[in-house]
Amino acid sequence: MSSTQLDPEAIAALQAALAAEHAALWVYTLIVAFVPPDQAAVARTDIEAHRTLRGQIEQTLTDVGARPVSAEPAYRTPTPVTDALSAGRLAVTAEADVLAAWRSVLEQTTQVPLRAAAFKALSEGTARAARWRLATNTLPVVPPLPGITR
Amino acid sequence: MSSVSSEPLVAPARVTRRRALAVLGLAVPVLAACTTSPADDGPDPLIPLADRARADAALVTAAITADPALTPRLDPLRSARNDHAAALQAEIDRLAGPQSSATPTPAPAPAPTGPVDLAAVQQALDAAAREATGLVATLPTGRVGLVGSLAACCATYAAVLT
Repeated sequence: MSSTQLDPEAIAALQAALAAEHAALWVYTLIVAFVPPDQAAVARTDIEAHRTLRGQIEQTLTDVGARPVSAEPAYRTPTPVTDALSAGRLAVTAEADVLAAWRSVLEQTTQVPLRAAAFKALSEGTARAARWRLATNTLPVVPPLPGITR
Repeated sequence: MSSVSSEPLVAPARVTRRRALAVLGLAVPVLAACTTSPADDGPDPLIPLADRARADAALVTAAITADPALTPRLDPLRSARNDHAAALQAEIDRLAGPQSSATPTPAPAPAPTGPVDLAAVQQALDAAAREATGLVATLPTGRVGLVGSLAACCATYAAVLT
């Protein structure tokens, strides 16, 4: 039962966020084999966070009568993943994409609960991104405007 | 289409629980969930955020002066808060329109009082994140991205500086 409606713009932004979450999950599953054990543990925690977000978006889209976009079977990476550093950098890229998508959700709705959810995802994602940026010496460790600047 | 269906991740029982948790919080009456439009008059709510960003940049400068060893950790933060101040001021000026171009440039940030150390910087960041977060529910769509982003930045800095 859908208790509320969303504007087409908000639905499109949520679909884009879902696509970014799918991609991030694919990325983390790939990189876990390339990073040292301590980073692999972080990656697994991050996978759980992205799974939760993916499930929340899918449920929300379903509740408002939209069909959630599916994951792609595979994704093209900007550079090949061959070692811990390239793996960590791919996580940085995936998190930046996710942050941009959540910021867009924030900007495409005036519904307070959806804004709160998007802002929470943006904040927690910024902390996740900072860990991978620190691990890969990607400066600044905290982007000044997460979701806008890289 | 090259998409494949993803496997369902949650059992139906979990889905029910998710629903009970109101997922992204949408199970609220639409009218109650709408943002209130800010009054047409009254000061721009971004002005205190811009003032605070400038004050934080000055605070960080003072902290670096007091302990130059903090430079590598704090210099990117100073840069970020200056970026925030510039982006906020641009948005404030945009909304104010050209007729307000004669308004004086913002007052310089007040000199920080009290001990200027990492704890003071962290406290300032917590306050900045709180203040910006408080506006997320009510700002118009064209401004909420900027304010949400800088709130996320300040909150994360406060955490990583510990």
